[in-house]
Amino acid sequence: MNSSEYWNPILETLPREKLRQLQFKKFKEIFTWAYEKSRFYHKLYSDAGMEPGDLKTYEDIRKVPKMEKAMMRTAQGEGKDPFPYGDILSVPLEKVTAYRQTSGTTGQPVYQADTWQDWEYSTEAYAYALYAQGYRASDRIFLPFGYNIFIAFWAYHYAGEKLGCEVIPGGVLNTEARILKMQELKATAMGATPTYVLGMAETARKMGIDPPKDLFIRKITVAGEPGGSIPATRKRMEDAWGAKVYDQVGSTEIGHWGWECRYQSGLHVNEAFYLVEIEDADTGEPIDEPGRRGKMVVTTFNRMAQPCIRFDVKDLIQWNSRQCDCGRTFRLLDGGIMGRADDITKVKGVLLSPTAIEEVVRDIPQLSNEYLVVVTKKGDIDNITLKVEILPEYKNDEAAIRTVLVDQLRVKTNLGYNIEFHEYESLPRSQSKSRRFQDQRPKQH
Amino acid sequence: MAENYDIKGMVEKIKALRKNAEELKKISGGIPAVESNADRILANVKMLEIDISDAAEILDE
Repeated sequence: MNSSEYWNPILETLPREKLRQLQFKKFKEIFTWAYEKSRFYHKLYSDAGMEPGDLKTYEDIRKVPKMEKAMMRTAQGEGKDPFPYGDILSVPLEKVTAYRQTSGTTGQPVYQADTWQDWEYSTEAYAYALYAQGYRASDRIFLPFGYNIFIAFWAYHYAGEKLGCEVIPGGVLNTEARILKMQELKATAMGATPTYVLGMAETARKMGIDPPKDLFIRKITVAGEPGGSIPATRKRMEDAWGAKVYDQVGSTEIGHWGWECRYQSGLHVNEAFYLVEIEDADTGEPIDEPGRRGKMVVTTFNRMAQPCIRFDVKDLIQWNSRQCDCGRTFRLLDGGIMGRADDITKVKGVLLSPTAIEEVVRDIPQLSNEYLVVVTKKGDIDNITLKVEILPEYKNDEAAIRTVLVDQLRVKTNLGYNIEFHEYESLPRSQSKSRRFQDQRPKQH
Repeated sequence: MAENYDIKGMVEKIKALRKNAEELKKISGGIPAVESNADRILANVKMLEIDISDAAEILDE
């Protein structure tokens, strides 16, 4: 064991059986807290006939009712007191020191309350990630991102400070100004969405700046989109910047539960801070073996104002069989977040994985970084249109590229697509989370 | 460096930090500057408990 690898060698190399004991102890504590302090959780568990004394073994965790985003919305709905958090809040309102909210992609946003201690917890969890990715006090971190009511990159900033790094908030600057500031200050690391990482490199090149040669960024942490765990997208980012790119996953309600270490073997779940369960999306049967995809259910152990217990996130993940060379005992996920378990991505009766489409598109060097998937319905038939941009120098190769695209998409997704080629730079660009999947089918109720 | 750590020793020091910060609050007479800064210290003490003390307890079992 090389202890300089770890933010906390005690937790990160805890033997698996001890880690399981720790998880059970922490689960009981947060369950008891929520049962006693939150009207929402008290009712959820009482209605199911459960109370803290019923948790006798690790296996009993699976008897605890799951919670979904829609339930949080109801618990907070219609101006319920204490406003705006409603029945889910587990501390007096005056203990809340930070407000954030979900983006509302799947409906009304969820309001997230944090105490100062909760925020320390989120920051601490992120510190594990940054340290594992090789961030040290000598790093000067640039954040090309405007912080706001969403959680994105707030904890990256605070964790960077916690590690002793110098953090440069590049929020209100435009992309060109950010690149110049990065160059002027010789920033060594940055955090952004994969879309923006690729877009920034494109902008830099137009300014006559070649990021690997003219900038000093050698580590990039990406979040907010699945690109960091998609090999073809990661390669594009690493080539464009001459930097190592590491994926990091989290959400407003949960916190920062998974990250890659510098060995890039897959996402480590921080199992000392979070319990990640995988279950069969149809039967609910627990999945412990590697290589079998299922639905993620997550518990955050020490976030107290608004506990997150057995949250059915509806993201699809699978365990990796590998043991990472870093020596951590935290389990690895294979391929990051692989899609959604709800109907949002069911097309022609097949579960469509947007990450698989991205992998195909980004693996074809004649195409730009941008693409758009539009799903429509004519009668009873779903149609998928994939819009891509061909790079100007390959305009004459359209037919050959179309053949490769259609074949690869069929292999990777089992679906057929209408392919549309668009002029380079004509598809919409985003500075934050991209919405490259547009489902325009009428909603069914 | 880290191989030389003394878990039991750290747990004792963390307990002392908590005790001191709580006592500081108690004798502050409600001075906001003391109470608020003590609360922030206690939030960090909690992180030390999560990082070290909770694991130590499991390792002892």
